[in-house]
Amino acid sequence: MNLTRTWRIMHKDLRMGPRSPIFLYAILLPVVLTFIINGVFGSLFEPTPRLGIVDEGASSIVAQAQQLEGIHVTEPSDAATLRKMVEANDLDAGLVLQSGFDEAVRNGEMPLLQFFVGGESLASNRIILSVATIDMVRQIAGDPAPVEVDIVTIGDPDQLPMASRLLPMLMIYAVFIAGAFVPASSLIEEKQRGTISALLVSPATVYEVLAAKIGVGVILATLTGVITLAINDAFGGDALALIIILVTASLMMAEVGVMLGTWAKDLNALFATVKAGAILLFYPVIFYIWPSLPQWIPKLSPTYYFLQPIFDLGVRDATLSDVWGEMAISLGFVVVLAPLVLIMARRLQRKVAIST
Amino acid sequence: MTATTPRASRAGIVAAIIRKDFTAFTRDWFFVVISIIGLVFFALIFWLLPNTVDETITIGVTGPGIGEFLEQSTTGSDGIAVKLYSSEDALTTAVEKGDDGVAVGLAFPPDFVESMAARQPTTVSVLVTAEVPGELRDAMDSLVREIAYALAGDTLPVTELSQNEYVLGTDRSGDQVSLREKMRPLMAFVVLVIEMMTLAALIAAEIQQRTVTAIVTTPARVSDFLTAKVIAGTLLAFVQAVILLIAIRSLGANAPLMVTIVLLGALMVTAFALIAGSYGRDFISVVFWSMLFLIPLMIPAFAVLFPGTASSWVKAIPSYGLINAIVGTTSYGDGWAEALPNLAMVAAWTVVAYVIGLSILKRKVEAL
Repeated sequence: MNLTRTWRIMHKDLRMGPRSPIFLYAILLPVVLTFIINGVFGSLFEPTPRLGIVDEGASSIVAQAQQLEGIHVTEPSDAATLRKMVEANDLDAGLVLQSGFDEAVRNGEMPLLQFFVGGESLASNRIILSVATIDMVRQIAGDPAPVEVDIVTIGDPDQLPMASRLLPMLMIYAVFIAGAFVPASSLIEEKQRGTISALLVSPATVYEVLAAKIGVGVILATLTGVITLAINDAFGGDALALIIILVTASLMMAEVGVMLGTWAKDLNALFATVKAGAILLFYPVIFYIWPSLPQWIPKLSPTYYFLQPIFDLGVRDATLSDVWGEMAISLGFVVVLAPLVLIMARRLQRKVAIST
Repeated sequence: MTATTPRASRAGIVAAIIRKDFTAFTRDWFFVVISIIGLVFFALIFWLLPNTVDETITIGVTGPGIGEFLEQSTTGSDGIAVKLYSSEDALTTAVEKGDDGVAVGLAFPPDFVESMAARQPTTVSVLVTAEVPGELRDAMDSLVREIAYALAGDTLPVTELSQNEYVLGTDRSGDQVSLREKMRPLMAFVVLVIEMMTLAALIAAEIQQRTVTAIVTTPARVSDFLTAKVIAGTLLAFVQAVILLIAIRSLGANAPLMVTIVLLGALMVTAFALIAGSYGRDFISVVFWSMLFLIPLMIPAFAVLFPGTASSWVKAIPSYGLINAIVGTTSYGDGWAEALPNLAMVAAWTVVAYVIGLSILKRKVEAL
């Protein structure tokens, strides 16, 4: 196999590809889906509560506030700036602590609590920031409440927000459309236009043509996968492991794509096959949305072995050592599919030879 | 007797070039498909987005007397809604299943009110699912302690501000701008900038295929060619943006003002398209040059989605005034007076972009 020729064919596909609506669809779909899913289920547009504090003395509240979970704390330079920021919705709430505030609270002098909320802040954020502020003041007063609070997590302790549970669905769309559908449709178009015959009478072999199509699928699917992870803020803690599994997933899908492309006689046949058969590749995503379903079922699909590592690495902050087993199986599927791709390549060569 | 050939007017020549441009546009199925898919998609996405902002934390409560106390304490507050449950089991089920929108459950012991009055220590369970964020858990923890203080007769150790002093700016509690509303300017602007790519590709094709040379050897002048490009580009962008605005019902409040804003926007993106098209040699380079303008121009539209004031550098982007004008008109009911400074800013940027775009394109055409 000549790598220069393979690269030339691949380069031609990458250059001409953007003219195809499927190419555009492959790139846009994960972005559009993410947008809808985060808009409907997620918190992309509901940022964490933002509290500004101006400490004119040396209050211990500032240090307490910086320890608060899920609240973004900033310290504007002075009270006037803080008021402006709150009014402009750059902060949800602001707190000005005058000099000697802590002593005044401890001495029971009832100092003025200069706590403001922005008119455009969400009512729920106002509640969260108000009670957090009052709690911090109570701690300075040093009079403990006569109650013990026990936070009880009910249901599945590992349950994740719906937006996170939908990540596998976005990922399978991203890698399938770009990795499988683009090479498949490209091959079909080449067959229909007869350009595949022209290519095969040149020094290029059928293996080089299919390798180029796989290369395009891998590049595009990895790219859309990275975009999808990035816009979903799901890069976790081990980005390198995520890229490795994305490339493996893209390779697996690209192999499926070229097999579909060599087999299907036209785009209608491809669409029909995908409509009927894609369920076998897509069904594991259901088990992420409803984790109470039996978890052995998704393991029957090859896509599970790249979706699970992507999910663990991206959402659950796992590392390479936690997911290497599934990644190895995923790579195993890629190896197993390779001889099938070769068989399909020979079949394509025979068909082209007969037709010419 | 000599036969006279009717001389074409300048307007007639420009109209003929525009007609040719529209024919070229409809022949390039790639751009036609993008335009149609874009319009349908944007309208569909818009109507799928939520039209309300859920800014209420719904709390389920069980325990004699405490629910009523909480309901009275939170009356008039948009931030908390209280649902009462007869038993802890019923409350647990409601929290687990999210029934009635209950996000958190507070299970008070049966003798809680009496215990607090006597300052007898007791335990309250806060029931949450794993997906409840940390700040909400902490807030509920603090809320329970505050209820205990209140029932024990402990007043706050500080003096609170009055309601007038407490809220800064117009209080939009219960009347927040929804995600759907926030998306209006983004939708309209995306349609405009997609058309920028279309026009840039048409101009690039004219230059590369040298059809422009053929045009200027007829009675048409270079200025006719440039005028036709500006009109065709503006019309393409304007018509599609107006169709989308109608589809997402954004013309209603102040239609003449919205049409003016969109027309100015279409003129502005056309100016940028002239620059991108002059430099583009093929499809890929047209996309590249278009993206070079498209990405920065999109920033103000995305900035609207996030709370707070845009940074100074965002305000300096040519599209900022346009987005601000659309947001003001569609979300806050602004009229001509409020929109005028933004429109002036867009107009100024448009003039600058045309001076640059037309001079580059003119040089390109004359050099052919």
